[in-house]
Amino acid sequence: MFNKILIANRGEIAVRIIRACKELGIETVAVYSDADRSSLHVALANEAYNIGPPPPSDSYLSKEKIIKVAKKSGAEAIHPGFGFLAENESFAEMCEEEGIVFIGPSSQSIRLMGDKVTARRIAQDANVPLVPGSDGAVSDVEAGVTAKKIGYPIMIKASAGGGGKGMRFVRNEQDFESSLRMARSEARSSFGDDSVYIEKFIERPRHVEIQLIGDSYGNVLHLFERECSIQRRHQKVIEEAPSCAISQKTRKKMGEVAVRIAKTVSYRGAGTIEFIMDQKGNYYFLEMNTRIQVEHPVTEMITGLDIVKWMIKVAAGEKLPLKQKDIKMNGHAIECRVYAEDPEMNFIPSPGRLVYVKAPSGPGIRDDSSIYTGSEITPFYDPMISKLIVWADTRESAINRMISALKEYIVLGVKTNIGFLLRVMQNEEFRKGDIDTAFIERHPELLKPPTMDIESALVAAALAMRNSDNESEMIGLKPVSNWKLFSRKLGVTRYNML
Amino acid sequence: MTYTFKIQGQIYKVNLEEDEKNTHVEIDGKKIPVEFQRIDNNLYSVISEGKSLSLGILKNGKKIHIFHDGDLYEFEAVSERERTRVSASESGVQEIKSPMPSRVVKVLKNLGEEVKVGDGVIVVEAMKMESELKSTIGGKVIDVKVEEGDAVESGTVLLIVSSE
Repeated sequence: MFNKILIANRGEIAVRIIRACKELGIETVAVYSDADRSSLHVALANEAYNIGPPPPSDSYLSKEKIIKVAKKSGAEAIHPGFGFLAENESFAEMCEEEGIVFIGPSSQSIRLMGDKVTARRIAQDANVPLVPGSDGAVSDVEAGVTAKKIGYPIMIKASAGGGGKGMRFVRNEQDFESSLRMARSEARSSFGDDSVYIEKFIERPRHVEIQLIGDSYGNVLHLFERECSIQRRHQKVIEEAPSCAISQKTRKKMGEVAVRIAKTVSYRGAGTIEFIMDQKGNYYFLEMNTRIQVEHPVTEMITGLDIVKWMIKVAAGEKLPLKQKDIKMNGHAIECRVYAEDPEMNFIPSPGRLVYVKAPSGPGIRDDSSIYTGSEITPFYDPMISKLIVWADTRESAINRMISALKEYIVLGVKTNIGFLLRVMQNEEFRKGDIDTAFIERHPELLKPPTMDIESALVAAALAMRNSDNESEMIGLKPVSNWKLFSRKLGVTRYNML
Repeated sequence: MTYTFKIQGQIYKVNLEEDEKNTHVEIDGKKIPVEFQRIDNNLYSVISEGKSLSLGILKNGKKIHIFHDGDLYEFEAVSERERTRVSASESGVQEIKSPMPSRVVKVLKNLGEEVKVGDGVIVVEAMKMESELKSTIGGKVIDVKVEEGDAVESGTVLLIVSSE
């Protein structure tokens, strides 16, 4: 086992990995940008090193700086988390060359599965059904021809993409040209590569994915599925496990299919095969994510396993401790991603200082976050506040537990999506499991808060005014005497007046 | 103490009376007994006629933020002087403003171009995400204040649409 691991990430996932390391008795090394000096991951790690200015390209994406810190600190392995360098094959390759273990798959697996076009080919060879579309990246002209051939509506997707960036839905031919331009421009600015491919759009699709874990000895296990159909801007906001849309038989079949794909690329570490599922239950291979995913906790909650610890163990050369038949699921888990964003303004990020935060607690409630009262949601990174995860014996009781937890959450200082998440949980269609990836678009009424009872509101407003005498107290700052500030200045000589 | 608030264009007068034992809030002549307790920095417990509420409260200048059951409600405290000159009329001019610090990616409607309700007029990028800003009125573009590639602050007027 490793003695020391560098975590090449920030935010809640860095904290999550540091916690796993601590439990395994491994020392941790944090890296941070100028914007993250007061972040929790820095405070929790055993060592911490500044790696430059806030923009990711100058810090969290700087492979050289991170490798340098790893060598300087004597870290034997690097955990990349998700985003940033997690699926960057050249970073994995650099680690391999420098003799540092990359906690994840080999650079070769990333290369094969990371390129969506190659990944489709691999899935096709493994007899996994695919959504009709273009054969790889296309020119503007070819794109138009393919779109016409498979028929609208279609999707335009960035070849190097992920997380919904560089992705566009096109309803009809009229919108095609502008959508293609936007997708290319977004792909270029996000991934430095503007190649895109075309895919048939499946009406009312569900997003179902299989969690995998492999070791260095050719063993690959699946940890069942997650359903992530509730999305905004093509990004997941609510995930659950298991999916209420699939039978035990389909679950087994999808698991086997996913394992088969992973084995063809000798997959090591945690990974996910994403499928798109139509209303009849047909599933098609979408892509493979060669990293730990944001929503991994729901799988941990129903299997009782710690995926991050397993990643570290298999990276250290250990064999998977269980066989497929030993993996059981129990109950139901749901994750809500709590964001600093404004649902009424098309979910636009709402960065700012978190003046006050109170997270929920209680049985079956897990809040994975890295924020605290006084911390900042900066405009440089993902505006996630936390991942709120609940577990209960059935889906219905898990939903009810989530409602109760969301109602306990209090965040002041930025706009949040908490009220919106609450309304999704209370929605009849959601409760029945009648969901698909366009659920949010179909329910614009969920974006708006209900009118607050005016009497309670006015009482609260009066309270706020009453206490405005000590406004500094209300915004969480203690008044400091100017004399005290003066005395702290450098060069001010202090005398003891006896 | 009497306070005046503006909520969704509506003006309310609230009187808060406190003696040693009781607190009353008077809204439009109706007296409501309340008892409140600060639990944590910005967290209050309010009991009124047996009903218990927990509220997150933040006052920031004239703006009052109240957080309740997952949603944030914004109020404005209005001074007497301002009260006399509220009810600003809706003219047929809309300023399209940057909702946050961002970069102008593309100006979709140029000077003099016709704009229909709901048309996208400009594309901005922030946090690696592109957003199309739409006009809520129909008319013509009468001013374009930025160029593609410009970095803009939150609240910067980017473009003006007029219905005249």
